[in-house]
Amino acid sequence: MDFRAGDSWGIFAFLCAALCNLPTVPALNGTEELGAGQSIQKTYDLTRYLEHQLRTLAGTYLNYLGPPFNEPDFNPPRLARAERVPSATVDLDLWRGLTDNARLAANYRAYSRLLKYLRGLDGQVGTVELRHRLGHFCSSLQGLVLSIAGVMSSLGYPLPPPDPRPSGTPAAPNDFLKKMDDFWLLKELQTWLWRSAKDFNRLKKKVPPAVVTLRIEARGL
Amino acid sequence: MANPVPSACCVVLAVVVVVYAQRHSQQDSHIQYERVGADVTMKCGSMDWDAAVTWTANGTDIDDSHLNGSYLILKKVDLTQSGQYSCYEGSSWHLKYQTYLRVGVPPKEPVLMCRSNNYPKGFYCSWHLPSPTYIPNSFNISVIHGTREMVCEKDIFPKNRCHIRYLQLFSTVKYKVTLTVTNALGKNSTTLTFDEFAIVKPDPPESVVAKPVPNNPRRLEVSWQNPSSWPDPESFPLKFFLRYRPLILDQWQHVELSDGTSHTITDAYAGKEYIIQVAAKDNDIGTWSDWSVAVHATPWTEEPKQLTTEVQITGETLTQHKHPALRGPGYG
Repeated sequence: MDFRAGDSWGIFAFLCAALCNLPTVPALNGTEELGAGQSIQKTYDLTRYLEHQLRTLAGTYLNYLGPPFNEPDFNPPRLARAERVPSATVDLDLWRGLTDNARLAANYRAYSRLLKYLRGLDGQVGTVELRHRLGHFCSSLQGLVLSIAGVMSSLGYPLPPPDPRPSGTPAAPNDFLKKMDDFWLLKELQTWLWRSAKDFNRLKKKVPPAVVTLRIEARGL
Repeated sequence: MANPVPSACCVVLAVVVVVYAQRHSQQDSHIQYERVGADVTMKCGSMDWDAAVTWTANGTDIDDSHLNGSYLILKKVDLTQSGQYSCYEGSSWHLKYQTYLRVGVPPKEPVLMCRSNNYPKGFYCSWHLPSPTYIPNSFNISVIHGTREMVCEKDIFPKNRCHIRYLQLFSTVKYKVTLTVTNALGKNSTTLTFDEFAIVKPDPPESVVAKPVPNNPRRLEVSWQNPSSWPDPESFPLKFFLRYRPLILDQWQHVELSDGTSHTITDAYAGKEYIIQVAAKDNDIGTWSDWSVAVHATPWTEEPKQLTTEVQITGETLTQHKHPALRGPGYG
């Protein structure tokens, strides 16, 4: 009776105190919240820029590989060998249900590995123009990896550990299979860039409230 | 125990009836398909070549010049010769043979189109023949994704359309869709190969509304909605393209909008009627939708004020008349 009434007043007072403190909490961490949101937007913009760059790079590279790789209808079966490159393909419901951490980590891991393989291409390609384009693309791709790392750390997520597998891949037994490897590398890169645009769209919408909650939890309120 | 003799009689009678009916129906249900321009020879059932018969086409007697014995010869048939052909024994006028002739052509290469207007749910394919065959056709569609064959579910309406749900998103492997059309005279097919992203094309925006803005003679407020077929605008946002022009000019003005479903035009010509359309596209992939239904609107104009005119009547005092202005040329 009296005890209960006192209790509710106590809770009410506590809530008031918490609510009064709330405006200061985001303000104190205002820059970080804005930081995460802006970083996500920047990362999104980078994926779009890279996707655009890749169109030109892929066109030039596939022409260098020659037919049938540069034919628009070329649709080869996926060999087991090609699975070394991380695939963007995912079940729809699984993709929807990914946590922010998992979503970011998948992107980070994928681009780190794709960057390693692309750099491996660098020394072997023919023309100066192609080497120059590849070099430029690799720099931009490195920027993307760092940008994703930035988003993860600003949200308090740990970076995935570096890939224990050796960066060198088992050499292809013949020239044709080597070219197939290159073809799939570019295909997978293109698909990842399309996927990332959608991943970062989702993150853009979901992140800001999550940041505020994280901070309040950390303060033990 | 029931008497077996009457039931045995029933069975025999039934068999006789069935056999008799079959023999007669064989004469009626025959359909024959022939190519335009072909020469057709029809035999009068089991009648001998030298039997005396009369052929009719849709009930009209056929001239003897078309006969070779009891065979009917039709040279270089055309579409008008489709119909029911019957053969009667000369004197008894018994119907000996009947067939339905359908003249047509084998199918040309069909036209196939596949599109995803509901990404990421799936896509649909629709098809048609570029020219008619004049005889019944059947369509078979196959969809192969890598090593897997997928089932394209036929839509009830419209016909010649089927849809597929995506099992996986962001696939690197292309989809290969083959449509085969078959009829009694031949078959033909066509194949489309495409990436998941390439066929994304939303439906046009819906409920486009354009309104004048009060006290602003150069503004028009336009608003619209996402197409209802687009299932998830939150995760897969659309961007929009607006075009507008006054009816009296041919040149369109364009605005691209990366978010929001409304826009205010601020450079409209005062008092001119405008035509406005909107198109949609996924933010990152695919192609623009068709233009929406056009809406018309005219910017706000000021209410015409009352004009006063002075009319001088000779020899008399000045009189003032009030005319409501701009009623029209016929106003006296």
